[in-house]
Amino acid sequence: MQIKWILIAYAAVSVLGLMLLLSRENVYVVIALVIGVLLLGHRELWSLVKYRRMPVIDERVQNNLTGAMRITGAFFFIASIVLILLLRFNVFKGTPTSLIVSGQLVIVGFVYVTGYYYYDRVRPCLGGKALRWLRICLITAGLCLSTMAMAIVLHNLVSAWLGFEDAFFFILGLLVAPAVLLISLLGCAAIYIKGLCASFSGVEQA
Amino acid sequence: MRTRMKEYRARLGLTQEKLAEMVGVRRETIIFLEKGKYNPSLKLAYGIARVLGAAIEDIFILDDKER
Repeated sequence: MQIKWILIAYAAVSVLGLMLLLSRENVYVVIALVIGVLLLGHRELWSLVKYRRMPVIDERVQNNLTGAMRITGAFFFIASIVLILLLRFNVFKGTPTSLIVSGQLVIVGFVYVTGYYYYDRVRPCLGGKALRWLRICLITAGLCLSTMAMAIVLHNLVSAWLGFEDAFFFILGLLVAPAVLLISLLGCAAIYIKGLCASFSGVEQA
Repeated sequence: MRTRMKEYRARLGLTQEKLAEMVGVRRETIIFLEKGKYNPSLKLAYGIARVLGAAIEDIFILDDKER
């Protein structure tokens, strides 16, 4: 039993040490990892401290983990494509690649934690109406992002082809779409926080 | 979906913690099940019914619009 705990402590210290060595220039990655582990594993840590055993990974937890992994996988795929495109067009000129990659990993971690809490707390505590609004806000945000990208490309194309500065796609891509995106993201955040804060006794009825 | 888990659990004098331990799930899962906010798998529903000494359809009741 003692050997098991020594091994666990050794593994934990090794992982932390490795993280510090790998990211001594990007300390915020370590901070983000520690916060992420605490957010995701606080129940496990509490159970280990209080009862000296790991809690059961039951079917609900497995479903939550699978759902969060699916969201994170999709996000990671899309984020990687966007990042490659941005790097291709030298958007991050002068920024160290390690910083860009660690930034992406931190955002992916944030998406994972958000996804897990969505399945674990938000979805069961929100009613059907609120979930519908959350879906609408997310779709709107996604459409705004694609509109922004398309509008920038079309603005450049139209300006180049017609020989004058195009105003329609400029306003659409740099003013209208970002404003709608901001409103959608604020809506998403408000509904998410509402679900997160809802106590089990005061849950909405679907 | 409505459940009568709380009623059956109270009859047997079981706490949520104890029932969770007997069924092999977390206490939060029992809370969600009692509130009707989580649909269990057939295996879990069967396990709960067996521990509570009742039939599955007596414990888990589907509303008419869910059928």
